[in-house]
Amino acid sequence: MRLRDEAPAKVDEETPWVERETLIEASPDEVWEALTDEDRLEEWLAPDVDLDPQEGGEIAVRDGDEERSGTVETYEEGERFAFTWSRPGEGESFVQFTIEAVPAGTRVKVVETPMAVALAGWGPRLARLERSLRFVLVA
Amino acid sequence: MRAPAHRQVDSVFGALADPTRRRVVETLARGGIVTASGLAEELPITRQAVSKHLSALRGADLVTSTRVGRETRYQLRPQPLDEAVEWMQMVGAEWDGRLDALRRSVESRRSDAR
Repeated sequence: MRLRDEAPAKVDEETPWVERETLIEASPDEVWEALTDEDRLEEWLAPDVDLDPQEGGEIAVRDGDEERSGTVETYEEGERFAFTWSRPGEGESFVQFTIEAVPAGTRVKVVETPMAVALAGWGPRLARLERSLRFVLVA
Repeated sequence: MRAPAHRQVDSVFGALADPTRRRVVETLARGGIVTASGLAEELPITRQAVSKHLSALRGADLVTSTRVGRETRYQLRPQPLDEAVEWMQMVGAEWDGRLDALRRSVESRRSDAR
Protein backbone atom coordinates (compact mmCIF):
# COMPACT_ATOMS: atom_id res chain seq x y z
CA MET A 1 0.00 0.00 0.00
CA ARG A 2 1.38 3.33 -0.93
CA LEU A 3 -0.89 5.52 1.11
CA ARG A 4 2.20 6.86 2.75
CA ASP A 5 3.32 8.54 -0.43
CA GLU A 6 0.27 10.71 -0.43
CA ALA A 7 -0.10 11.79 3.14
CA PRO A 8 1.45 11.01 6.49
CA ALA A 9 -0.24 7.86 7.70
CA LYS A 10 -1.02 7.23 11.28
CA VAL A 11 -2.09 3.95 12.70
CA ASP A 12 -4.85 3.83 15.22
CA GLU A 13 -2.75 2.78 18.17
CA GLU A 14 -5.75 2.08 20.35
CA THR A 15 -6.89 -0.97 18.44
CA PRO A 16 -3.87 -3.15 17.73
CA TRP A 17 -4.45 -6.47 16.05
CA VAL A 18 -1.79 -8.23 18.02
CA GLU A 19 -0.70 -7.21 21.48
CA ARG A 20 1.80 -9.04 23.64
CA GLU A 21 3.73 -8.11 26.73
CA THR A 22 6.45 -9.40 28.96
CA LEU A 23 8.07 -8.47 32.26
CA ILE A 24 11.84 -8.17 32.30
CA GLU A 25 13.90 -8.07 35.47
CA ALA A 26 16.01 -5.11 34.42
CA SER A 27 15.81 -1.33 34.32
CA PRO A 28 13.97 0.55 31.56
CA ASP A 29 17.35 1.85 30.34
CA GLU A 30 18.67 -1.67 29.86
CA VAL A 31 15.52 -2.70 28.01
CA TRP A 32 15.51 0.44 25.87
CA GLU A 33 19.06 -0.27 24.76
CA ALA A 34 18.15 -3.83 23.79
CA LEU A 35 15.22 -2.52 21.73
CA THR A 36 16.95 0.30 19.90
CA ASP A 37 20.63 -0.57 19.48
CA GLU A 38 21.23 -2.52 16.29
CA ASP A 39 23.92 -4.73 17.80
CA ARG A 40 21.65 -5.57 20.70
CA LEU A 41 18.72 -6.24 18.36
CA GLU A 42 20.90 -8.84 16.66
CA GLU A 43 21.03 -10.73 19.95
CA TRP A 44 17.33 -11.41 20.00
CA LEU A 45 15.38 -10.15 16.98
CA ALA A 46 17.31 -11.45 13.98
CA PRO A 47 20.93 -12.17 13.06
CA ASP A 48 21.26 -9.07 10.90
CA VAL A 49 19.62 -5.78 11.89
CA ASP A 50 20.29 -2.27 10.58
CA LEU A 51 18.63 0.55 12.46
CA ASP A 52 18.95 4.30 12.28
CA PRO A 53 17.31 5.09 15.64
CA GLN A 54 15.49 8.33 14.92
CA GLU A 55 12.12 9.26 13.50
CA GLY A 56 12.26 8.80 9.75
CA GLY A 57 15.30 6.52 10.06
CA GLU A 58 15.40 3.17 8.32
CA ILE A 59 15.15 -0.28 9.80
CA ALA A 60 16.09 -3.53 8.05
CA VAL A 61 15.79 -6.93 9.68
CA ARG A 62 17.25 -9.97 7.96
CA ASP A 63 17.00 -13.56 9.07
CA GLY A 64 18.27 -15.96 6.41
CA ASP A 65 16.10 -15.48 3.34
CA GLU A 66 13.58 -13.45 5.22
CA GLU A 67 13.93 -9.72 5.09
CA ARG A 68 11.76 -6.96 6.46
CA SER A 69 12.34 -3.28 6.08
CA GLY A 70 10.62 -0.07 7.01
CA THR A 71 10.81 3.30 8.67
CA VAL A 72 11.00 4.48 12.28
CA GLU A 73 7.77 6.30 13.09
CA THR A 74 8.22 7.18 16.75
CA TYR A 75 11.35 7.41 18.84
CA GLU A 76 10.66 8.68 22.33
CA GLU A 77 13.72 7.93 24.39
CA GLY A 78 13.05 5.42 27.13
CA GLU A 79 9.33 5.19 26.44
CA ARG A 80 8.14 4.41 22.97
CA PHE A 81 9.66 3.05 19.80
CA ALA A 82 7.55 2.42 16.72
CA PHE A 83 8.25 1.54 13.12
CA THR A 84 6.62 0.14 10.06
CA TRP A 85 7.94 -2.97 8.42
CA SER A 86 7.10 -5.29 5.58
CA ARG A 87 8.50 -8.16 3.59
CA PRO A 88 9.11 -7.43 -0.09
CA GLY A 89 5.78 -7.43 -1.93
CA GLU A 90 3.70 -7.78 1.21
CA GLY A 91 1.58 -5.39 3.19
CA GLU A 92 3.17 -3.09 5.68
CA SER A 93 2.47 -3.37 9.35
CA PHE A 94 2.98 -1.01 12.23
CA VAL A 95 4.97 -2.22 15.24
CA GLN A 96 5.19 -0.34 18.49
CA PHE A 97 7.07 -1.05 21.70
CA THR A 98 6.24 0.76 24.89
CA ILE A 99 8.20 0.28 28.08
CA GLU A 100 7.23 1.09 31.61
CA ALA A 101 9.03 0.80 34.92
CA VAL A 102 7.25 -1.51 37.38
CA PRO A 103 8.35 -2.68 40.84
CA ALA A 104 9.65 -6.00 39.49
CA GLY A 105 11.54 -4.46 36.58
CA THR A 106 10.28 -3.27 33.23
CA ARG A 107 7.12 -4.11 31.40
CA VAL A 108 7.48 -4.25 27.63
CA LYS A 109 4.42 -4.16 25.44
CA VAL A 110 4.48 -4.72 21.72
CA VAL A 111 1.64 -4.26 19.28
CA GLU A 112 1.50 -5.07 15.61
CA THR A 113 -1.26 -3.92 13.29
CA PRO A 114 -1.55 -4.25 9.52
CA MET A 115 -1.30 -0.80 7.94
CA ALA A 116 -3.76 -1.99 5.38
CA VAL A 117 -4.71 -5.58 5.17
CA ALA A 118 -2.89 -7.01 2.21
CA LEU A 119 -4.12 -10.46 3.11
CA ALA A 120 -4.48 -12.52 -0.01
CA GLY A 121 -7.96 -12.50 -1.43
CA TRP A 122 -9.12 -9.44 0.44
CA GLY A 123 -8.01 -7.06 -2.28
CA PRO A 124 -11.41 -5.90 -3.52
CA ARG A 125 -12.57 -5.31 0.01
CA LEU A 126 -9.55 -3.31 0.94
CA ALA A 127 -11.08 0.14 0.81
CA ARG A 128 -14.07 -0.94 2.83
CA LEU A 129 -11.85 -2.78 5.26
CA GLU A 130 -9.76 0.29 5.83
CA ARG A 131 -12.80 2.38 6.53
CA SER A 132 -14.37 -0.20 8.77
CA LEU A 133 -11.37 -0.92 10.87
CA ARG A 134 -9.66 2.44 10.74
CA PHE A 135 -6.22 0.89 10.38
CA VAL A 136 -4.90 4.02 8.86
CA LEU A 137 -6.03 7.45 9.80
CA VAL A 138 -4.78 9.99 7.37
CA ALA A 139 -3.60 12.87 9.50
CA MET B 1 -34.50 -13.04 0.97
CA ARG B 2 -30.77 -13.08 1.47
CA ALA B 3 -29.08 -10.00 2.77
CA PRO B 4 -26.82 -8.38 0.22
CA ALA B 5 -23.30 -9.76 0.50
CA HIS B 6 -21.74 -6.45 1.42
CA ARG B 7 -23.94 -6.22 4.48
CA GLN B 8 -22.36 -9.38 5.78
CA VAL B 9 -18.89 -8.13 5.03
CA ASP B 10 -19.64 -4.95 6.95
CA SER B 11 -20.90 -6.84 9.97
CA VAL B 12 -17.83 -9.09 9.99
CA PHE B 13 -15.44 -6.17 9.86
CA GLY B 14 -17.57 -4.25 12.31
CA ALA B 15 -17.32 -7.16 14.72
CA LEU B 16 -13.56 -7.22 14.26
CA ALA B 17 -13.13 -3.49 14.78
CA ASP B 18 -13.16 -4.03 18.54
CA PRO B 19 -9.77 -5.18 19.86
CA THR B 20 -11.24 -7.23 22.70
CA ARG B 21 -13.45 -9.08 20.25
CA ARG B 22 -10.38 -9.84 18.18
CA ARG B 23 -8.82 -11.36 21.30
CA VAL B 24 -11.96 -13.44 21.81
CA VAL B 25 -11.80 -14.58 18.20
CA GLU B 26 -8.11 -15.39 18.49
CA THR B 27 -8.69 -17.35 21.69
CA LEU B 28 -11.60 -19.24 20.17
CA ALA B 29 -9.42 -20.04 17.16
CA ARG B 30 -6.80 -21.52 19.46
CA GLY B 31 -9.08 -23.29 21.84
CA GLY B 32 -11.68 -24.99 19.66
CA ILE B 33 -14.99 -25.29 21.45
CA VAL B 34 -15.19 -23.37 24.70
CA THR B 35 -17.57 -21.96 27.26
CA ALA B 36 -17.96 -18.31 28.25
CA SER B 37 -16.38 -19.04 31.64
CA GLY B 38 -13.44 -20.74 29.94
CA LEU B 39 -12.93 -17.64 27.80
CA ALA B 40 -13.19 -15.32 30.80
CA GLU B 41 -10.37 -17.26 32.45
CA GLU B 42 -8.09 -16.73 29.47
CA LEU B 43 -8.87 -13.08 28.86
CA PRO B 44 -8.54 -10.04 31.10
CA ILE B 45 -12.27 -9.35 31.00
CA THR B 46 -15.30 -10.40 33.02
CA ARG B 47 -17.58 -13.25 32.11
CA GLN B 48 -20.31 -10.69 31.48
CA ALA B 49 -18.13 -8.84 28.99
CA VAL B 50 -17.28 -12.15 27.32
CA SER B 51 -20.99 -12.88 26.88
CA LYS B 52 -21.54 -9.48 25.32
CA HIS B 53 -18.72 -9.97 22.84
CA LEU B 54 -19.87 -13.50 22.04
CA SER B 55 -23.32 -12.24 21.27
CA ALA B 56 -21.92 -9.54 18.95
CA LEU B 57 -19.82 -12.18 17.21
CA ARG B 58 -22.84 -14.45 16.90
CA GLY B 59 -24.72 -11.53 15.36
CA ALA B 60 -22.02 -11.27 12.71
CA ASP B 61 -22.26 -15.02 12.14
CA LEU B 62 -18.69 -15.55 13.32
CA VAL B 63 -19.56 -17.76 16.26
CA THR B 64 -21.98 -20.64 16.65
CA SER B 65 -23.25 -21.97 19.94
CA THR B 66 -24.62 -25.30 21.09
CA ARG B 67 -26.14 -26.22 24.41
CA VAL B 68 -24.70 -29.28 26.10
CA GLY B 69 -26.59 -29.96 29.31
CA ARG B 70 -26.47 -26.74 31.31
CA GLU B 71 -23.56 -25.32 29.38
CA THR B 72 -23.44 -23.27 26.24
CA ARG B 73 -20.41 -24.01 24.14
CA TYR B 74 -19.11 -21.63 21.55
CA GLN B 75 -17.22 -22.33 18.40
CA LEU B 76 -15.64 -20.03 15.87
CA ARG B 77 -17.06 -20.04 12.41
CA PRO B 78 -13.85 -18.88 10.83
CA GLN B 79 -14.64 -19.01 7.12
CA PRO B 80 -15.38 -15.27 6.85
CA LEU B 81 -12.11 -14.33 8.47
CA ASP B 82 -9.71 -17.20 8.03
CA GLU B 83 -6.90 -15.01 6.85
CA ALA B 84 -7.27 -12.40 9.55
CA VAL B 85 -7.28 -15.05 12.28
CA GLU B 86 -4.32 -16.82 10.73
CA TRP B 87 -2.40 -13.53 10.66
CA MET B 88 -3.22 -12.72 14.30
CA GLN B 89 -2.16 -16.17 15.46
CA MET B 90 1.03 -16.20 13.43
CA VAL B 91 2.13 -12.68 14.36
CA GLY B 92 1.15 -13.24 18.00
CA ALA B 93 3.23 -16.42 18.16
CA GLU B 94 6.18 -14.62 16.55
CA TRP B 95 6.07 -11.89 19.21
CA ASP B 96 5.75 -14.44 22.01
CA GLY B 97 9.01 -15.95 20.79
CA ARG B 98 10.75 -12.62 20.21
CA LEU B 99 9.76 -11.13 23.57
CA ASP B 100 11.00 -14.25 25.27
CA ALA B 101 14.33 -13.90 23.44
CA LEU B 102 14.47 -10.20 24.39
CA ARG B 103 13.87 -11.00 28.04
CA ARG B 104 16.55 -13.70 28.05
CA SER B 105 19.01 -11.42 26.28
CA VAL B 106 18.56 -8.55 28.75
CA GLU B 107 18.45 -10.73 31.85
CA SER B 108 21.50 -12.78 30.87
CA ARG B 109 23.57 -9.58 30.49
CA ARG B 110 22.45 -8.68 33.96
CA SER B 111 23.60 -11.93 35.50
CA ASP B 112 26.90 -11.72 33.57
CA ALA B 113 27.53 -8.27 35.03
CA ARG B 114 27.01 -9.45 38.59
